[in-house]
Amino acid sequence: MLSRVAERLYWLARYLERAESTARLISIYNHLIMDIPKGSEPSWMILVDILEARQTFEGRYNAATEQNVHRFLIERAEERSSIPHSILRAYENVRTTRDALPQEAWEYISELRIYVLEHSKQSLARSKRLAFLNEIVQRCQTITGLFHSSLSRDEVYSFLKIGKLVERADMGIRITDVGAQDIIDREGVFKSIDQLLWAALLEALSAKSAYRRMKGPVIDRQNVIELIFQAEDFPRSLTYCTRELRVELMRLPNSEASLKKVHKILRILKSYDASHGVYLHEFNINLQKLLRELGISFSKTWFQRGVF
Amino acid sequence: MKELDQTFYDELITPAGKARAGCGTIHKWISRQNFESWSTYSAAAELAVREMGISYTLYSEGENIDRAWPFDVVPRLIPSRQWKKVSEGIKQRARALNLFIEDVYNKQAILRDKVVPASLVLESPNFREQCIGISPKHAAWATIIGMDLIRDESGQIYVLEDNMRIPSGVAYMIENRELTKRILPEIFENHSVLPVDDYISALYETLVSISRTKSKKRPNVVVLTPGIYNSAYFEHAFLARGMGSELVEGEDLFVKNEEVFMRSVAGPIKVDVIYRRVDEDYLDPEAFNKDSMLGVSGLMRAWRKGNVAIANAPGSGVADDKAIYAYVPDIIRYYLREKPLIKNVKTFQCWKPEELEYVLENISDLVVKPVNQSGGYGILIGPQSDTQEHKRFSALLQQNPRDYIAQPTLSLSTIPTISNGEPAPRHLDLRPFVLSGRKTWVTSGGLTRVALKEGSLIVNSSQGGGSKDTWVVE
Repeated sequence: MLSRVAERLYWLARYLERAESTARLISIYNHLIMDIPKGSEPSWMILVDILEARQTFEGRYNAATEQNVHRFLIERAEERSSIPHSILRAYENVRTTRDALPQEAWEYISELRIYVLEHSKQSLARSKRLAFLNEIVQRCQTITGLFHSSLSRDEVYSFLKIGKLVERADMGIRITDVGAQDIIDREGVFKSIDQLLWAALLEALSAKSAYRRMKGPVIDRQNVIELIFQAEDFPRSLTYCTRELRVELMRLPNSEASLKKVHKILRILKSYDASHGVYLHEFNINLQKLLRELGISFSKTWFQRGVF
Repeated sequence: MKELDQTFYDELITPAGKARAGCGTIHKWISRQNFESWSTYSAAAELAVREMGISYTLYSEGENIDRAWPFDVVPRLIPSRQWKKVSEGIKQRARALNLFIEDVYNKQAILRDKVVPASLVLESPNFREQCIGISPKHAAWATIIGMDLIRDESGQIYVLEDNMRIPSGVAYMIENRELTKRILPEIFENHSVLPVDDYISALYETLVSISRTKSKKRPNVVVLTPGIYNSAYFEHAFLARGMGSELVEGEDLFVKNEEVFMRSVAGPIKVDVIYRRVDEDYLDPEAFNKDSMLGVSGLMRAWRKGNVAIANAPGSGVADDKAIYAYVPDIIRYYLREKPLIKNVKTFQCWKPEELEYVLENISDLVVKPVNQSGGYGILIGPQSDTQEHKRFSALLQQNPRDYIAQPTLSLSTIPTISNGEPAPRHLDLRPFVLSGRKTWVTSGGLTRVALKEGSLIVNSSQGGGSKDTWVVE
């Protein structure tokens, strides 16, 4: 497979996954804020922090209001953290690889692009916001599902899958890092809403029902972190994503260097002891660094141009 | 059906209103239809075009639009006996043109013998000094030619243009057949029609035959496209898929030690043959347009070394100059010592003062064409333009006579074409494709392009033309 095509497929999957998880994150956060008693609400800036966009945001807006944060994340296609930005990038990548993909992929992504361009502006109001975000999640899942059910398991599929897994792991770490840190920082102060916050964090990773089945109805920190990092059978846990990455990497040529990184990530995940929540931030930082290195390794092995 | 205008030759119907030879079944079928059935057929065609994703890209108002391919359901029939003669003429012409290109970049015998004026060739912008002394395998310079054939009111067939740079349309020829089979299966089965989809394997074999690679392995053939914004991108992808080749862009290739490689996830892979759909000017920033982002640096060096074959070979455009067109019958006689089998359209060469004078005096009756453009752009159709346009072109002709030729306005033949739910005569041409490698090979028929507007002579899809399936029938 051509390096260019592989790279575009990888980024297509990353942007699609990013749009979906960003939409879910904003949606869950909106629900959470409605549930929390007045005066205890966490800041809207948590959303911006999870997407690592505080600096950009503060350069654009004077105040971290609900309106500004949503404008930044839902409306502005030119902002790299926004949903429209991810959709447009995904669209461009489908457009330039459509010969490798099922015909419907092109139709669905074109429709999604039009939907976002037509609706993002009118979806800032609370009443419309959730319907818009829900639609994004559903449409992204339709496309991902299409890939899953109609592509033969060749290199096209592998690069799409790798992109999805890397993005999913990345988002999992970001949400846990900022979200869990915020909850831990407040612990004891608003004891009564702790459960609510941890539940929201699970929902943002679409992990709530999996949690209930595996750990029971009581939501506590240790179990949440164990699920997100270490669950072997839950498709959004970091351990699961990394293991799946290993499977795909083993099918691809010249993947030795990347496989080494993946094994290192798996070792670190296994060694983490969730019972004493300290060092969670350091742990997350370390994981993120390894994930970044993995991305660099992909690009050196498969994507890079002008090397020869 | 509307009354036929008897000043034109109709492909299906004789002036007496009878079906032409071989067209009886189609003629009867047409006469049985009504407004409703035509609408049903047209709707089915539109749906099939959409479902099959047959599109072409138009650049308009700063945006690229994928347009559904315009297809007319009424097929165009050519009796196989007639086609046999025409295809011999096409092959003859392709052979002579390739010998001509080989000659002008090597011995230049035809110029020394003054059969073609040396200045016309050597001063042409299409004559590439970088190609001097090069001789591709089988002297296959213009590996793929798409000739435009027309028929005048007497039924005589002419070659109007030899498109030898990067002619397009062949994918649509193949897809039009698929459409017919879907929409008119009964009618199609009642005829014995020669297949058209053998083009792809013929193209592949031709490309393999021009490879210079010594190794016994199957040569690596790639299709080089300028990318998704090109109007013919659909076709590039179609042909690459059909041949099982990679569809590459300039950035996918690189040259090292005068060999061409493509960047793949498994590392660099050597490329043996490039079917390029990138204009020559953009092919290699080192040799031609320095600002080109579409090409591959060093490609010309690799080609000159004989390490990669390129189709069509750079420099082939020298024979596609409309000023050279006028000499093609002489070129055929010179190299092949044969009588040209298909006629040329009478052509006035504006660089000759006496012919320029005639053109200026008769501009309102003539078609004036720039020698170096294709796609139907920059053309004056005298009888369909006003005096202001005539004046503008007269001025252009006097400034740069070498840049123009003129031809009589031909009464292109017509064919029943569905317009507003009923068949009406529309003008058409035919673009067969001829392949030159170890062997010379011609499509069965070709792409029929039809002007959709009443009276229009412009058949280009970029300018509102449509297309039809072309049946060569026993």
